Amino acid sequence: MIAQQTTEEIRVGVFVCDCGLNIAGAVDCGAVTEYAETLPDVVCAVRNKYTCADPGQNEIKDAIKQHHLNRVVVASCTPRQHEPTFRQCVREAGLNPYLMEMANLREHCSWVHPGDWEGATAKAKDLVVSAVARARLLQPQEELTVPVTERVLVIGGGVAGIEAAIEVADAGHKVVLVEKEASIGGIMAQLDKTYPTMDCSI
Amino acid sequence: MGLSSRKAIHIPFPQAVPCSYILNMDDCLGNNPIACGKCAEVCEKKAINYDDRDEVITRDVGAVIVAIGLDVYDPTEMDEYGYSRFNNVITSMEFERLICAGGPTAGHFVRPSDSERPKRIGFIQCVGSRNPKIGRPYCSNICCMNTIKDTLLHEDHYPDVENVVFYQDIRAFGKSFEDMFQRSKQAGTRYIRGLPGDIEEDPETGNLTATVENTTSGKIERHELDMLVLSVGVIPPMDLLKISGMLTLSKTADGFFMESHPKLKPVDAPTRGVYFAGFCESPKDIKESVCQAGAAASKSSALLNAKQIQIEAITSRIDEQACAKCGLCAGICPYGAISWKKGEAAVVIEAACAGCGSCGATCRFGAITMRHFTDNQLMAQVQGVLAEKPEDKVFVFACNWCSYAGGDMAGISRIQYPASNRVVRTMCSARVSEEMVLEAFRCGAPVVLVSGCHYADCHYINANRQTVARVQRLWNTLEKAGVRPERLQLEWISAAEGQKFAKVMSQMEELRKTVTMDEMAHAREALKPKPKKTAKKEAAAAGAAT
Amino acid sequence: MAATRETFRCMMCGHEYEETVDKGEDKERSCPKCRSNSIRHLKKKKAAT
Repeated sequence: MIAQQTTEEIRVGVFVCDCGLNIAGAVDCGAVTEYAETLPDVVCAVRNKYTCADPGQNEIKDAIKQHHLNRVVVASCTPRQHEPTFRQCVREAGLNPYLMEMANLREHCSWVHPGDWEGATAKAKDLVVSAVARARLLQPQEELTVPVTERVLVIGGGVAGIEAAIEVADAGHKVVLVEKEASIGGIMAQLDKTYPTMDCSI
Repeated sequence: MGLSSRKAIHIPFPQAVPCSYILNMDDCLGNNPIACGKCAEVCEKKAINYDDRDEVITRDVGAVIVAIGLDVYDPTEMDEYGYSRFNNVITSMEFERLICAGGPTAGHFVRPSDSERPKRIGFIQCVGSRNPKIGRPYCSNICCMNTIKDTLLHEDHYPDVENVVFYQDIRAFGKSFEDMFQRSKQAGTRYIRGLPGDIEEDPETGNLTATVENTTSGKIERHELDMLVLSVGVIPPMDLLKISGMLTLSKTADGFFMESHPKLKPVDAPTRGVYFAGFCESPKDIKESVCQAGAAASKSSALLNAKQIQIEAITSRIDEQACAKCGLCAGICPYGAISWKKGEAAVVIEAACAGCGSCGATCRFGAITMRHFTDNQLMAQVQGVLAEKPEDKVFVFACNWCSYAGGDMAGISRIQYPASNRVVRTMCSARVSEEMVLEAFRCGAPVVLVSGCHYADCHYINANRQTVARVQRLWNTLEKAGVRPERLQLEWISAAEGQKFAKVMSQMEELRKTVTMDEMAHAREALKPKPKKTAKKEAAAAGAAT
Repeated sequence: MAATRETFRCMMCGHEYEETVDKGEDKERSCPKCRSNSIRHLKKKKAAT
């Protein structure tokens, strides 16, 4: 089944983060915000001091309600850091978390082009263009939930396999331990004494 | 170990679990009951069944702990040590058997040539370890301490012995290891830095002479010894490839299993629900094996306790109607998550799909949708970014896990590079289809970079090999169309390589400056998509081929 | 294992070099001169030429 194409009007909100001076120190965030407003389907663009902090997140939530946003672009830092944060934020405002997109103005822009105000600002605008272009086509997604069979397979009956099997069993789960030899014990059982305590291997 | 013989029916060793007799069918005559069959006659419990065979048992499981251990290095190929030529050269594993009270000599330490007790014993370290010449460049981690233990054990049994250890470095890094090393030295063991280059045997006495350059003194020394123990390294187990194929695991350069992350996920396999314990992940001693086993047990218990798992909605979906039933996607999926039968549409097993997008980029019929990284979304990004002044821009595709993260690392480290690059993120570089790259050139991009994880780091097992194949094809396509193929570049940048990310971006900027407006205009025209007709023909051809 | 001599070209610096390639080999390539990973596998030239 392919995700259904929604027919509703696309309403994108763009949130440009200063990150204190982390972004605003090297990028003209005001210009980026103004530019974002001119992009297709963008109905509001807001500049925040710190978008990830509670006041910033509340601004997103308020804007979603006020402007009936159904797509959100957060132009701040790397999605590898705050994608879960902002997904949760839009979820709390009633939006499917997959309708949020980020533009990386910090790690990929302000922090690496501090001496190039114009170049960095032009790049930041393009990163927002890219994120908005993508956001307009985002679809709500449902995460699949898969049940987990309550049994663990341990392959190998050496010291590691034995220990793992005991621990899993102690935790109350079924374990199947598979060993190719006639006895468990593995290489360790072939040793006489073991370091550092000089005790028997078996 | 070949030190004594064994009957066809035996208990593997006294403490074996299960502690029952086994019948070795290779040695048993019972396959032909006319020849023997005595054991079945005398067994009152009728426990002997000659016809017992291996059987396949099927069980569903929610997690797998891979603890397949190691194999011990066979030193035969290192002929300079004469393992296969001289009786009194043994391995450290054979030493264990000889000194063990339960061993073939009941713990009386004698040498193989004349069953006399050897007094002067040499130990050679790093046999099969830290030796790039034989393809074993890694440290086996356990042999230094094992030898130190052996010297103490030997001195303990026989106070009059003279032990000599030939080594490159002694790595006694664990808790109370250094103390053991010092005790071994105090007990009289001599440690000589340098590995023997040659071993000679006196055929009459069976004694051995080791010639070694003592790298501390710089002098060549000759040591006469009664016996020589090769402290053999460890190698990845023979079954590793088999298990790796079954569970779609990868291995690192040294041949052991690759973990999900070297620091933060050292127990997880890249395949969800699979964990590593012990040696098969990397050389480690008993204590570390037990630690990792505990971690693997805890991780799998947590998974089982959760009762269910959520799968990020980035997985692949196949449109049955559009599917040309060619099966190409099933063949390239690193996870085996696409099932396909001849003449039928391919089906994604969503729980097994990791969302790399290799299949999406491979399908020529538009039948595969990567949820959340659709063709349309990525194309819109390409077109959006290159809508204005494309000539000034370096267009970059970067994979989420490594190269995009490498860009983040450059940022965190404040490494500066030209602001001309425009990065589009995909989960894996294998998601980048040929069409996407061509579209970038059509939109006027002067240069395009496709970047992903290093081979060993690929988060989708080996999906980035598809990237390589695709870029090779693209270079051919560009060349045929009269577009300078150098305008497309490929780089592997790891999450730690911020420096490399910056360097590559600077190089790309230099390359961009060499591309003329005429070249860009030519590429726009020359790479225009083929008319639909050809695509249909291709579909028919692919259908016929299967 | 079957091994062949193959020609590679670095698309970054233009360096061309030959390397022995084992059949089924799975190896990351980088230019011996400039370390770039843009290594183009050139078609084997037939012995006739």
